[in-house]
Amino acid sequence: MSRRHSVNRPPTPDVRDDDEDDRPKEPTLLEIVNIKLIESGEKERLMELVRERLVECGWKDEMRALCRAFIKKNGRENVTVDDLVRAITPKGRASIPDSVKAELLQKIRTFLVSVAH
Amino acid sequence: MSMLKEDDLSSDSELLSKLFVDILDSIIVDVASESHRIARLGLDCNLDNEEEELRLSAEARARASDPSNSGEANGKYVVDIFGQTHPPIANEIFECMNCGRAIMAGRFAPHLEKCMGKGRKARLKSTRSTTSARNR
Repeated sequence: MSRRHSVNRPPTPDVRDDDEDDRPKEPTLLEIVNIKLIESGEKERLMELVRERLVECGWKDEMRALCRAFIKKNGRENVTVDDLVRAITPKGRASIPDSVKAELLQKIRTFLVSVAH
Repeated sequence: MSMLKEDDLSSDSELLSKLFVDILDSIIVDVASESHRIARLGLDCNLDNEEEELRLSAEARARASDPSNSGEANGKYVVDIFGQTHPPIANEIFECMNCGRAIMAGRFAPHLEKCMGKGRKARLKSTRSTTSARNR
């Protein structure tokens, strides 16, 4: 069972800058808003919506093809989830259609406004 | 948070962008995780459907032409999943409950036909509990 690195993997790699970790217990604005987002169920709704859009436009298929290519190249048994995430994130972020981005931003903005009042 | 000052506006857009990236990254991780699972479970072995078809038909042809390989109808003896062979006609011998003779299992049905009623010679026999069978 020592091969199963992906089961005991460390936290998701920091592909973006993550300065919240440096602060101790004091909740940041981001954390507060994130919690509200999750607790209200809005985050899940947003993710479902974006997932659907990304399937419709073929983005998910592209990503899965990238994963398959990576796995084919490196060997089925050697690949961890983290490897795949690292491999597809740059292309993944870049190839999201503008309409999907705009829709998501719009909805988050609406949420932030509703939370602020 | 209820007053929109200059500072709040820029931190708001920073907030917006962080939340946006968070959601997208989660979705990317989901896709990667799904592909990983499929690859590790071998569910995605049909990398190329045509390739797969060719491989399968080649395998089937090999199986069909190989005489030592067991199929349902290949060769003289069939080999079952436990590796046992069975002769085409069951050859266990037991006693017929009608006439008391020693009969081979694989010949039992034709024997019964003669023994119990279908054959012409059988009609002449009158044995114990066969009246109900004949009246059927």
